[in-house]
Amino acid sequence: MTWTIVVGVKQVPDDDEIGIDPDTGRLDRASAPAVMNPPDRDALEAALSIADEVDARVVAMTMGPPMATPVLEEAVAMGCDDAVLITDRAFAGSDTWPTSLTLARAAEALDADVVVCGEETTDSSTGQVPPGIAAHNGWAQLTYVEELEPDPEGGRLIATRDVEGGHERVAAELPVVVAVAYGEFEARPAGLHRKIYAENDFEPAQLTAEELGIADEVGLAVSPTAVGGMETVEPVERRGEVVDDVDGLVEPIRGVET
Amino acid sequence: MSAILDGRVGDAAIEEPNYDGEFDAVVVGAGLAGSAAALTMADRGLEVLLIERGSSPGAKNVFGGVLYTPTIRELVDLEDAPLERYVAEKRFSMLSHDDETALSISPGEWRREPHNDSYTVLRGEFDEWFAEQAVDAGATLVTETTVTGLLREGREVVGVETDRPDGGVEAPYVVLAEGANSLVGEGANLKATESRENVAVAAKEVLEFPNGENVIEDRFRLFGDAGVSYHYFGEGAVGEAFGGGFIYTNGDTVSVGVAYRLEDAAANDQSPEETLNLFKSHPRVAPLLRDARTVEYSAKTIPEGGAESVPDLAHDGAVIVGDAAGLVLNNGVHLEGTNMAVESGYHAGRVIADANARGRTDADALEAYGRALEESFVVKNLERYAWLQETVEEDRELLFETMPTAFADAGAEYFRMDREPKAEHASRAKRAVVDALGGWRGLAKLALRYRKVVT
Ligand SMILES: Cc1cc2nc3c(=O)[nH]c(=O)nc-3n(C[C@H](O)[C@H](O)[C@H](O)COP(=O)(O)OP(=O)(O)OC[C@H]3O[C@@H](n4cnc5c(N)ncnc54)[C@H](O)[C@@H]3O)c2cc1C
Ligand SMILES: Cc1cc2nc3c(=O)[nH]c(=O)nc-3n(C[C@H](O)[C@H](O)[C@H](O)COP(=O)(O)OP(=O)(O)OC[C@H]3O[C@@H](n4cnc5c(N)ncnc54)[C@H](O)[C@@H]3O)c2cc1C
Repeated sequence: MTWTIVVGVKQVPDDDEIGIDPDTGRLDRASAPAVMNPPDRDALEAALSIADEVDARVVAMTMGPPMATPVLEEAVAMGCDDAVLITDRAFAGSDTWPTSLTLARAAEALDADVVVCGEETTDSSTGQVPPGIAAHNGWAQLTYVEELEPDPEGGRLIATRDVEGGHERVAAELPVVVAVAYGEFEARPAGLHRKIYAENDFEPAQLTAEELGIADEVGLAVSPTAVGGMETVEPVERRGEVVDDVDGLVEPIRGVET
Repeated sequence: MSAILDGRVGDAAIEEPNYDGEFDAVVVGAGLAGSAAALTMADRGLEVLLIERGSSPGAKNVFGGVLYTPTIRELVDLEDAPLERYVAEKRFSMLSHDDETALSISPGEWRREPHNDSYTVLRGEFDEWFAEQAVDAGATLVTETTVTGLLREGREVVGVETDRPDGGVEAPYVVLAEGANSLVGEGANLKATESRENVAVAAKEVLEFPNGENVIEDRFRLFGDAGVSYHYFGEGAVGEAFGGGFIYTNGDTVSVGVAYRLEDAAANDQSPEETLNLFKSHPRVAPLLRDARTVEYSAKTIPEGGAESVPDLAHDGAVIVGDAAGLVLNNGVHLEGTNMAVESGYHAGRVIADANARGRTDADALEAYGRALEESFVVKNLERYAWLQETVEEDRELLFETMPTAFADAGAEYFRMDREPKAEHASRAKRAVVDALGGWRGLAKLALRYRKVVT
């Protein structure tokens, strides 16, 4: 059986290029060029390394505007066999719920056996999307993954996960959603011919909300996230005091007003 | 596999992409020379692959600089080009450690179109734009890719090897436009490594003025898009080394730099950065840069061997253009490489297109490129100043230390305000120069030796 591995990649503003406006002292995101979310490079490498071992097809997907196409080209340059742009005006204003629903439906439509995602994005960094995809589809999930071992005979994917205080080795039945730990999979460089092909001759496939049958389930109106308000917190003045021994510590702490 | 992707056109899995033989020419380096060659060939219907190691063309480019546009104007419409300012004033200044004697030139003609074809540019922006023009004409640009060597069949160059996996690509013609640090051409024995005395090091900073409006206009006495190029030489500019310093005005920033012979830099045990800092703190330079903030620092080499160090330009399947071919004029009065880079890229592109039409890739067929350059201003200018380098080397101390001080002393004497008659001042001023320069005989010899710089 050929595995279909789908990789979620997202376009974000380049962190290295986000300048600080010297006059206002604010972050200047608008002028930063868009790049692939760096943790997604780890996701691509993890997916391609599975494909090195088992018979598999690797397909990159992104939900975003047509402007996000370069991240798909980069994915194909690195070695993905194909890529899908999931784009629709209806998606505007989607938070992590409809975003993960959309990606879940797309993964289903692509007959995914494995979905690989990055740990989180550098622009919103919720880390909710990969578990969201698993939840929407009722698939298994493996998060904070540092190593992957495909088990094609058993139809399973075995992962080494980073858990508090150590590591855990678990096997999941396919289909499964994986979120890889950032920095654990060093992305391979793109081959020359693939890079030329991806940037010049490749066109991604496209999917719309309609085609995924979720036109009414995405967008701002169905996004449960609500921002109650923004508040700038004034820094609290800190008091420092050195005490000679442990016993002397209790009194000053008691003395602190809350 | 889902039906969505079945048998889709553009599916990379259908066939592993391979571009061997798909391109007529590969150009190494998307600088001015490379993009000019790519554009010229693409305009003539050739399939061109332009390979650049930087994240974008010009991203790694160190340059003063004034872009000289007589040739580029013929190739592209400069209307939308990211030009900073036109050069309205050139100023040549001799610095001792604390004196300055200067000559300023600002012809009215320079203030009118086409502004003597001299514009300050930021190469990060200009090179990206220029490469885009080549892409619009049909060339294929691939960035973040370093050419590491040439593919050969016998003597013939048949493609390039890059630092990427599956990194070789075959094409009948290769244009080497890799700039002064031409590792590919040298590695393939198409040119000799430039000897130390023929290489200059350059350090450059781009500075901005965070406090206040119109600082550049006010400090450099400018209106609108007018700008300046200030050139400095003498001990106060680059110490005892042979070379000089410069200040160019961009739109909202200034470029400040020094360029001097690598050999001197090594001998003097002083880094380019230190030399630049000393220049910036000279009492006549510092006020121009007061309250400025550095936004960019870079260092690079400039070939300055002149006509004699130009290598064989045509090989079987390959040509060398721009700085890689040593096509830079750097003699104290002129620092010109941009115009020669574009001119050479244009001729190379034209000759390759002709040869391609005749199905020829041999060096004999590509020799026409070298001949075209010889007939152009490029080689003529290089030959005209070939003698200068050596002569200047012999007179180094005199030119860069003695003369700046002597002229400053003469000026101080001539205009001295005291109770002596002016005739006394004038003769002391004259003596300051004449003595320093080896008496009247010395002065006459010197004038004779250097008259060709300006005549
Ligand atoms: C209140 C609120 C309002 C928002 N409004 C908008 C809006 O108007 N427009 C808008 O575009 N976004 C909006 N967002 C952000 C956006 O919809 C999602 O939050 C975001 O796409 C996914 O969340 P994340 O970046 O935190 O992903 P994470 O969960 O941190 O990402 C983990 C991994 O999931 C995968 N992944 C995440 N997003 C995508 C994607 N889009 N395509 C493919 N793979 C992906 C990647 O592999 C990534 O590494 C909003 C977010 C909030 C909280
Ligand atoms: C400090 C300084 C000031 C100067 N001031 C002036 C001035 O005021 N006026 C003027 O006319 N000239 C000036 N020059 C000279 C001018 O910059 C050069 O003559 C001109 O840039 C030459 O253009 P080029 O295209 O040949 O090379 P470059 O502009 O050096 O371009 C070479 C390109 O090739 C790329 N490259 C190199 N190796 C590889 C590889 N192996 N694989 C892929 N890509 C590669 C580089 O990244 C670069 O983009 C100055 C030079 C310096 C250093």
